[in-house]
Amino acid sequence: MLRYVLRRIFMLIPVLFGVTLVSFSLLHLVPGDPAEILGGQEATAADIARIRAEYGLDKPLVVQYLRFVGNALRGDMGISIASRHPVRELLFQRLAFTLQLSLASILVASTIGLLAGIISSTRQYSVFDTASMLGALFGISMPIFWLGLLLILVFAVKLHWLPSGGTGSLRYLILPAIALGSASAAVIARMARASMLEVARQDYIRTARATGYRERVVIFRHGLKNAMIPVLTVFGLEFGYMLGGAVLTETVFSLPGIGRLLVEGIFMRDYPVVQGAMMVVATTFVLVNLLTDVAYAFFDPRIRYE
Amino acid sequence: MRRVGWALILVLMVGGIALVPGAWAAMQPVSGGTLIYGAGADPDSLDPANTDSNTGEAFGHMMNNYLVRFDAKVKIHPDLATEWTQSKDGLTWTFKLRKDVKFHDGTPFNAEAVKYNFDRFLGPEKPLKSGLHDVIIKSVDVVDEYTVRFNLKAPFAFFLNNLAHSATGIVSPAAHKKWGKDLTLHPVGTGPFKFVEWVRGDHVTLVRNDDYYEGKPRLEKIIVKTVREDSARVLGLEAGDYDLIVRIPPEEVPRLMREGKVRIDAEQSNRALRIAFNVTKKPFDDVRVRQALNYAVDKESIVKNIYQGLAAVIPDVVGPLNVGYAPVKGYPYDPAKAKKLLAEAGFPNGFKTTLWTPQGRYLKDYELAQAVQQQLAAVGVDAKLETFEWGAYMATLRKPKDEAKQEMYLIGWAPSTGEARWGIYPIMSCDQWRPTGSNDSFYCNKKLDELIAKSVASTTMKARDDYLRQAQEVLVQDPAGIYLLATKETVGMSLKLHDIINSPLELVYADKDTWKEP
Repeated sequence: MLRYVLRRIFMLIPVLFGVTLVSFSLLHLVPGDPAEILGGQEATAADIARIRAEYGLDKPLVVQYLRFVGNALRGDMGISIASRHPVRELLFQRLAFTLQLSLASILVASTIGLLAGIISSTRQYSVFDTASMLGALFGISMPIFWLGLLLILVFAVKLHWLPSGGTGSLRYLILPAIALGSASAAVIARMARASMLEVARQDYIRTARATGYRERVVIFRHGLKNAMIPVLTVFGLEFGYMLGGAVLTETVFSLPGIGRLLVEGIFMRDYPVVQGAMMVVATTFVLVNLLTDVAYAFFDPRIRYE
Repeated sequence: MRRVGWALILVLMVGGIALVPGAWAAMQPVSGGTLIYGAGADPDSLDPANTDSNTGEAFGHMMNNYLVRFDAKVKIHPDLATEWTQSKDGLTWTFKLRKDVKFHDGTPFNAEAVKYNFDRFLGPEKPLKSGLHDVIIKSVDVVDEYTVRFNLKAPFAFFLNNLAHSATGIVSPAAHKKWGKDLTLHPVGTGPFKFVEWVRGDHVTLVRNDDYYEGKPRLEKIIVKTVREDSARVLGLEAGDYDLIVRIPPEEVPRLMREGKVRIDAEQSNRALRIAFNVTKKPFDDVRVRQALNYAVDKESIVKNIYQGLAAVIPDVVGPLNVGYAPVKGYPYDPAKAKKLLAEAGFPNGFKTTLWTPQGRYLKDYELAQAVQQQLAAVGVDAKLETFEWGAYMATLRKPKDEAKQEMYLIGWAPSTGEARWGIYPIMSCDQWRPTGSNDSFYCNKKLDELIAKSVASTTMKARDDYLRQAQEVLVQDPAGIYLLATKETVGMSLKLHDIINSPLELVYADKDTWKEP
């Protein structure tokens, strides 16, 4: 198992190369460059040429890319062209925050999702079931943007219970976690319900019941662990998505996360920031995938990794 | 009965006396408190010489002073300079400086510091806004410890405006020597508030400068938070999370004013929006077509319906609060005349063209472009609307004449020096064609350039303003675009916040007198 994990972590290296190469190329293919954006409307061609030279943007693309890779390998991620902040510092700050937000959101999502999904599966076609599946449909369909603003309107403006945005204590995470978690909760709920229903039809469940175990033991001890595997897949995907780019939630609630760093960096053609952020997002995605795969082994002892 | 009467009077008197101090206290400025300012974007730079954005410039005003400064009506006042004289030939300006000013790092403000700052603009570092000064100033001399002399390359009637520009904040030479380009991460000025920290994308914190030369500022701390989403900013103001926000969507303004829980202030800005023509492309090379399109657009209706009155129609490209603005006669809405002129030019059935617009860059830009498109369609001009992301827009508009693809495009321009010449010259002059200057219309009118040059060389304000008036008349007769409007900068404030500066240069900031009720 350990060798498997190490091998997966090693694969991160070619993935990061690929990611930085693709994002570097894409960003240079798009019209506009940071010198023009920094220069502003009033800048002359001479001003822009000077800014380009200052940031090494006039060198051939290959040279620029190799210089970036060389520095990155030594831990120097460069400085943001837009603000001069060191990129490494920015990445740490934003990643730390995004982790907080994502953990809070996945907590909200799994709690609501699992509870709703499991209970629905045991009471199929009941009022609870219909209501929670409708709720799930709502959660998936509602634009996160709209939900976020609605939460702010109700809980911050009208009730004054929670802040409307920004950072601070744990209170500041509540509304964003609900907004970001709601779509994931919906997906988790539906998957949990479907998976539990399928497991419930298995022979071994019937056997367990026949053995005389209480219903609760049958469901939770025998059924749940097996039903969790597909749910785990969904869980991993949703968590990965949250870590990579909750940019809409971050924009509505004014949160300094990695999603906004990446998107705003793209608008400003801030190459070092975009490269750095892409690397972080790719790394978190690979690691989350790895964790999910490892977790499978815990839930299903039949799964072995060499 | 009489005793009750007396008792009642006594009660009323005591009650009245008790209430009066309360009412009095509510109106007196208090010292202390933290201002939470919801800005629409992070500053681009905290180094005044390198900032080009409204947020950056607002910080410039809170942390720095200038030799001379604009007031809320864009009039010049002394600031770090107490008096000045100009030589008869207009080539030399001499300023006497204040003697009681220190930078936030304790170093003294004096003529050496001023010379250092301007040498920086003229020297090899070439900060972003050096173009403001290096074409005008030849050199700067220290006459004595508190007197400084500027030697100009040619007489320049708007020199004081350039000195009051947000970029000309005087920074500490010691700090610049230490940090160089990274001064933006460690700004040091002489202003009412000092820098504490900048968490990129989240907030900037400033604290009171107790030694500020004009007197101790009232506010103790300012936190400027980055709130990119317009609706979230408004909701945050209503929830009480922010005391001050900028850029309120116009459709929210009537509701907010009606509810009265927050105060809304709308100031005329000098950001002029127009639909520019590329005059090298047919049919925009025909002045009759350009005039016709100006008649075809109902600007008053746009201001009323799209901007809810939060804009002002302007006759050309100069907004009302600029030095040198002249209320020349612009184009009224006359679609019949538009059709007639088009027919005369050979387009009785109109023509096809493209209309480019950014989205979200200027207030209601996309909606404005849509409205113009519809009004043009009514006179037979079929304009295909194309939206651009701002970075791509700028890249595309920078192309030289032979590569330029634009036909009609929505663009804005705000002269940060607050004077009409800068509102016209960079975007209309024959020698400012892209990529050298900012003239992406490739407009060229020799008479206009002559008038501008004469206004610059004027030695009296009257002559200067007269040439500018004539220049604006030329712009109207020979249009470079469909002239539209100058937007109003809306600012929302908590009812407890007082004396915020809201200047037509789109600068919203706190100064030493700003205060907040506890």
